[in-house]
Amino acid sequence: MLLELRDIEKTFKDNQVLKGIDLTVEQGEVVAIIGPSGSGKTTLLRNINFLETANSGSMTFRDQNIDMARPSKEQILWTRRHMAMVFQNYNLFKNKTALENISEGLVFGQNMAKKEADSLAEIALDQVGLLDKKDFYPSQLSGGQQQRIGIARATVLNPDIILFDEPTSALDPELVGTVLRDMKQLAEQGQTMIVVTHQMSFARDVADRVMFFADGEILEQGDADEIFDHPKNDRTKQFLSAIAEDY
Amino acid sequence: MFDTRFAINSFPKILSVAPETIILSIIATIIGLILAIFIVIVRERKIRVLEPIAAVYVSFIRGTPIIVQLYVVYYGLPQLLVALRNMGLNTTTNGLPVMLIAILAYSFNASANISESIRSAYHSVNYQQYEAAVTVGMKPTRAMTRIVIPQLITNLIPNFSNLFLDLIKDTAIVYNIGIVEIMAKANILSSLGFKYVETYLDALIIYIIICWIFAKLFQLLEVFSRKRVSHTQEFI
Ligand SMILES: Nc1ncnc2c1ncn2[C@@H]1O[C@H](COP(=O)(O)OP(=O)(O)O)[C@@H](O)[C@H]1O
Ligand SMILES: [Mg+2]
Repeated sequence: MLLELRDIEKTFKDNQVLKGIDLTVEQGEVVAIIGPSGSGKTTLLRNINFLETANSGSMTFRDQNIDMARPSKEQILWTRRHMAMVFQNYNLFKNKTALENISEGLVFGQNMAKKEADSLAEIALDQVGLLDKKDFYPSQLSGGQQQRIGIARATVLNPDIILFDEPTSALDPELVGTVLRDMKQLAEQGQTMIVVTHQMSFARDVADRVMFFADGEILEQGDADEIFDHPKNDRTKQFLSAIAEDY
Repeated sequence: MFDTRFAINSFPKILSVAPETIILSIIATIIGLILAIFIVIVRERKIRVLEPIAAVYVSFIRGTPIIVQLYVVYYGLPQLLVALRNMGLNTTTNGLPVMLIAILAYSFNASANISESIRSAYHSVNYQQYEAAVTVGMKPTRAMTRIVIPQLITNLIPNFSNLFLDLIKDTAIVYNIGIVEIMAKANILSSLGFKYVETYLDALIIYIIICWIFAKLFQLLEVFSRKRVSHTQEFI
C-alpha cells in the first residue's frame, strides 16, 4: 500500500467539507473520483499535498505517518517532493517557458543540475508531442497544450503518485482527447494516480477503482463495472443518470 | 514681450542644476523602495505590533501634502537631534545638509506610495502560481523568488514608473528649504532679470525632457519583462 488516508475531516468556517474520508491507494493503481460539484473532491486532493490543512485525520504515505492536522514543515516538503499535482486550470508558471515549466521543479525542488534537468524536460516535452513549443510561454499556448505541459511537469518529477483535479474540465471538447490519451498512457506505464474527473469514459476505461463522492463522503466505491453498471447507492444512481442525460 | 534671448541664455544655467533634481529623485526612490519592501513584508505577513504601525504610517503619509512632510522633517529633525543630545546621545545638531533633509522627506513619502503599489502588484499575482510552485517541490521562499516575485515585478513596473515621475515633479518645491534645483534656479534667474515666462518655460521644457527620458526607460524595462511573462501575444 502506497497511500492511506484515515478519517480526514476538513471544515471551512462552519461548513464541514470532508466528513471523515478513508482512502487507500495501492502502488500502480488508478483511482477515479467522481461526484457532484461542491462535494469536496478538490478539497480532498488539496489536503493530501497540504495546500489545505485538515482539521483531523492521518496519512501514511510510503513509510511515513503524518498527522494531517499538524504536519511538520519537513513532512510537507517531503510529501510534495514525492507527489505531483495537475490542476484544473493548468497553473503553468506564467513567467517561464514550456521547457522551464517542466525543468523548474527538477532544479529548484529536487536540486538537479540545470543541464540534466533540461534534457529530462525535453524528453518529457517530446512525450507529449510539444517539443517544438519548448520556448513558448503559457500565454502563447492553447489550453490543451498547456495541460499536456502541466502533465509533463508532473511526470518529469518521477512522483510516487500524481493527483489530477479535473484535468480536462477547462478544455474545449476537441482538446479533451489528447489530454486523456496522455493520461491513459501514463496509467499503462504503471503510474499511480488519483483522478478527479467528469469523464466517465475515462473512469470506465482506465481506472482500477472508482469512488463516488458526495457531500464530503465516499458513498460507494468499487471497480468501474460495479459503479457504472450496478450502483447500489441511490445517490450514485441519481448522479449517473443525470450525467447520462448530458450525453 | 517674450525675451527669446533671455530664455535661451537661461536654459543651460537651469539645466546645469538638473542633476540635483534627478539625484534627489533617484536616491529617495531607492531608499523609499527599500523601506517599502519592509512595509510590505510587515503588512502582508501581518507581523504583530508592527503591522498597525505600518498601516498608520502609510495612510498618514498618503493623506498629507508632501510640502507639509518636507517642513516637518526640515524643522522637526534638528529639534529631534537636540532632544536626543539632551538625553545624552552624541548627535550633531548644527548644519544638517538640506539635501539630506530632502532625501529623508522624499524617501518617507516614496516608501508609502511604493509600498501600496507593491501590495497591489503582489495581489494581482494569482495565488495558484504559488501553489503550483510548492507542489513541484519548491520551498516556500523559492516559490516566492522564482515564480511570484518575478511576476510581481512585471506588474509593478508601470505603477512604479508613474510614482517615480510624480516624485521628480514633486521635488519642485524643495527650493523652499534652500536647495538649488531646477525650480529654484528658475526662480533666481527670474528675479534677477525680472522676466518670468522665459525661465519657467525653460524649467517646463527641462522637466518634460527628464520625464520623457525616464518614461522611455521604464517602458523598455516593461517590454523586456513582459516578454518574459508574455501577455503580449496570445496564441501562435
Ligand atoms: N478555501 C475555501 N474556503 C471556504 N470554503 C471552501 C474553500 N474551498 C472550498 N470550499 C467549499 O468547500 C466545498 C467543496 O468544494 P470543492 O472541494 O471545490 O468541491 P468539488 O471539487 O467537489 O467541486 C464547497 O462548498 C466550497 O464552497
Ligand atoms: Mg473541484
